[in-house]
Amino acid sequence: MHPLAELEISVSSREAVRVVGASVPSGAEAIGAPRKNYLQKHGYAWGLVVPMLIFFIVFNAIPLLWMIGLSFYRYVLTAGAAPVSVGLENYHQLLTDQAMWGSFSRTLIFVLLTVLGASLLGGLLGYLFWGSAKMPGRRLALTLLFTPMLLTPVAVGAFYRLMLDPNFGVISYLFGLVTGGREDLLSKPATAFPTVLLIDIWMWTPFMTLITLAALASVPTAELEAAKVDRLRWVTVLRRVILPHAKFILMLGVLLRTIDAFKTTDLVLLLTSGGPGTSTEFLGLRLYRLGFDSLDMGMASTVAVIALFVAIGFTTLYLYVLNLKKQEDA
Amino acid sequence: MTVGDISRRTALKWGAVGLSLPFVGSLAACTGSKTKTSTGAVEKVSLKGQSLALTILGVAGWPPSQMSVDFGNKAFKAHAKSALGYDVGFKSSDAPFGQLFQKAATSLATKSQQFNLIISDSQWLGAFARAKWIIPLNKIIAANKNLQVEWYSNVVINGYMRYPDGSSNIYGLPQEGDVLVLYVRKDMLENPKEQAAFKSKYHKDLPQTFEDFDKITWADYHTIMEFFTRPAEGLYGISLQYSKEYDYFTCYYYPFLFSRGHQIWDSQKKNVQGILNTDQNAAALEEFVALKKYCPPGADHVGIAELADLFTHGKVFSCIQWAAMGPSMIPSTLKGKVMVVPPPAFKEGRTYTLGGQPWVVNAFNDKNNMQAVVDFLTWWYLPETQLAYAKAGGNPCDKVTLESTGFDDLQPWFRAYKYMLQDGKTLDFWHDPNYAKMLSDQQEAFTAFSTGQVKDARKALDYIAYKQQQTLYDAGETKTAPSGTLPSLS
Repeated sequence: MHPLAELEISVSSREAVRVVGASVPSGAEAIGAPRKNYLQKHGYAWGLVVPMLIFFIVFNAIPLLWMIGLSFYRYVLTAGAAPVSVGLENYHQLLTDQAMWGSFSRTLIFVLLTVLGASLLGGLLGYLFWGSAKMPGRRLALTLLFTPMLLTPVAVGAFYRLMLDPNFGVISYLFGLVTGGREDLLSKPATAFPTVLLIDIWMWTPFMTLITLAALASVPTAELEAAKVDRLRWVTVLRRVILPHAKFILMLGVLLRTIDAFKTTDLVLLLTSGGPGTSTEFLGLRLYRLGFDSLDMGMASTVAVIALFVAIGFTTLYLYVLNLKKQEDA
Repeated sequence: MTVGDISRRTALKWGAVGLSLPFVGSLAACTGSKTKTSTGAVEKVSLKGQSLALTILGVAGWPPSQMSVDFGNKAFKAHAKSALGYDVGFKSSDAPFGQLFQKAATSLATKSQQFNLIISDSQWLGAFARAKWIIPLNKIIAANKNLQVEWYSNVVINGYMRYPDGSSNIYGLPQEGDVLVLYVRKDMLENPKEQAAFKSKYHKDLPQTFEDFDKITWADYHTIMEFFTRPAEGLYGISLQYSKEYDYFTCYYYPFLFSRGHQIWDSQKKNVQGILNTDQNAAALEEFVALKKYCPPGADHVGIAELADLFTHGKVFSCIQWAAMGPSMIPSTLKGKVMVVPPPAFKEGRTYTLGGQPWVVNAFNDKNNMQAVVDFLTWWYLPETQLAYAKAGGNPCDKVTLESTGFDDLQPWFRAYKYMLQDGKTLDFWHDPNYAKMLSDQQEAFTAFSTGQVKDARKALDYIAYKQQQTLYDAGETKTAPSGTLPSLS
C-alpha cells in the first residue's frame, strides 16, 4: 500500500482512496455487500454529535436568538404589558445615548490599561521566575503569586472595599499615615477609576505571569544555550530567540485577558456599583443595571447584542492570530 | 462539504428554520399570552391533616423579615396544629434590598410559587400588581374579620396597601411599619463637659429630651452637628445615606422636598419634567449634599448597614436611620446611651420618607398554600401576635397595638416611630410599575452630583426628569414625550 494512503485511511477510507487516485469500486461494492441504510452508515457519527447539538441549541442558540429578538421589542418586566415591537428604536436610543457611549469608551480605556498593565507586570514577573529555577521557596512564591487570580472577583471586590473604607479600612489607614489624612479613593471621580484599574491589574497579573512562564517554556533550550555561547546581549536574546517562539502564547494570553476584561462586571459592582456617578460604569455593569435593576429586558438585550458584536470582533482577532501560527508552522 | 447525503448549506438552512421556530413561536406567544392568575377570591379549603411548607421571601439582614419566619415556625405552627388541624413549616429566602425585587420578579415572571408570601417594598406594589403576580386582597379581607384592622394612620394605608394610589384596591398588608428617626448619643448630650462647652460656644443648651428635639429645626441642628464634628478625635456630627445603592440617596433627599411641599412628579398625569427639575429642588439637593461636611469620610458609600456600623462604633454623634434598624442600632454596649427622637424639622414642616414593607401574596399559589397564607395573615394581625411582634422588636401598624398602654416604652425607638407614622409626618413615593427604572436613573444622577461628577444640581435634575419622562412615555403612562435633549452626566 502506498504510504500516503496508509496514513489517510485512518481518517476516512473513501477520502484516502480518492487522494491516492485509486478508483472507487462502486458497482461491485453495491452487488457484493449488503446495502446499509442511512442510520447504519451515519448513526454513530450523529449519535456523537446530536447531544452536543441539542445542548448548543437549548442553551446557546435559542437564548441568543431570543435575545436578538427582544432587542427589537420594548419589554419592561414590571410594566405588566406584553412586549411591543419597536423595530430599531432601542438601537437608535442607545446609540444616541451619551451615557452609553461614555460607558463604552470607559470600558475600552479600562481594557486597554488593565491588559497593558497586567501584561507588562506579568511578563516581567514571569521572566524573573523563569530565570530563577533554583531559587529557594520558588514554588511557595509562585503559589502565593497566583492566589489573586484564583479568588472570585466578588470576594476581591468585597475585601478591597473593606480595606479601602476610609473609616475602618487598613489601606486607608496606611494611606493616612503617609498623606496625613484618610482618603476615600472609591468615592472621588478622579481616584475611583484608577483604584478599580489597579485592583484589576493586581488580580490578573498572575494570569499573565502564568502565560509568560508557559510561553518561555516553549523556547528551545538549544537555542538559548547557543545564544549564551555567542554571548549575546539579553535584549538580543529576548528579541531574536525568545520572542519568536513565545509570542503566540503571549498573544493568546493578551487576547484572552482582553475578552475577559471587556466583560468586567462583578468586581466593579462590589467596589463602586459603577460610581461615583457613572465614572466606573463599564458596559457589563450597564447591561446588568438595565437588565436587573431596571428590568428593562428590551434595552438590556440591545446592549447585549452590541456587546456580542464587540466580543465577536475580539474572537475574530483571536482566530486570526491562531491562523497566523498555523501558517507559520506550515 | 456534505453531512451524510445532506449538503452543509441545506443543513444550515433547515437548522436556522428549526432554531427560529421555537423563538418566533415563543415570542408570539409571549406577546399575545394572557396570564391566568388568582382574582383574589380564595375559596375556603380544609387543610386538616395536611402538611405544608411555606416560603417567605424577605430582606436579608433585616431584623423584621427574619422575625416573621421565626414567628411562623414557633407561634403560628403551634396555632395551626391546635386550632386549624394541620402542620405547617416556614422556610426563609432572602436577598439584600437592592436585589430582592429582582429575585421576586424573576421567579414570579415564570408563574412560580417558589415564594408563597413576599415581604415587598411599598414601591413595588405597582409593578407586582400590574403584572398580576400578586393578588388583590379586598375579597380576602372582606371574608376575614381579623383582617379588618383599624390602621394607625393613612400613611399605612396609602403606603403599604393601596394600588393605584387613591383607589380602593388593596394589594398589600403592612408587615413592618418603618419611618426615618434620629438616633443620638444621649450619654454625650448628658455629659456636663459637653453641655458647658456647647453653652459657651453657642450660648444655648444642648437638647436633652424628646420634646427638645421635636422643636429642633435643621438650622438649629447645624450647630449641634458642627459641635460634634471633631475629625482629630474621629468623631462626626451626623451620618446620612448618600449611597448609589437601591433607594438610599433618594430616601434621604426627598425629606428636603416633601417637608417644603415640593413635588417630585405629577402623580395623576404621570409627568416629571418641569416638576422635579426646578431651581427649588436643585437648591434642596445642594443643601442635602452640603451636609456631608458633618459626616465621616466615605459618606458616598454609606447605606443602611454602613450607617449602623458608624453609629455603633462611636464614629458619629447622631444619624438618621430607619426605625426598623433599632435592634441593630442599639446593641447591648449602647443600652441606655442612645435616644431616639424625630429627625430635625424644616422651617416649613417635617415630612420624611416612608420605609417599611407590606406582605404581598403570590398569585400563583395553589389552593392549599393560598389557604395557609391567608390563615397565617389572619393570625398575624391578632392583637396578641402584634404585641408579641412589638416586644420582639418589630414595628406594628395597627391602632390597637400602637395606642396600647406602655407601647412607647417597649422599645427605645417606639415613641419616635409612632410620632413619625402620623399623617403628614411621613410620605411614600411612587407605586408606579416603572419604579425600578426610574429609581435606577435618579440614583445614578443624584450620586453623580453628590460626588462632583456633575457640578450643577439643576443639570442632574434635568437629566433625571428627562429620563423618567421618557420611561413613563414609553410605558404609555403619559402622553407627554420628554422635551429638549438629554443632558450629559459627564
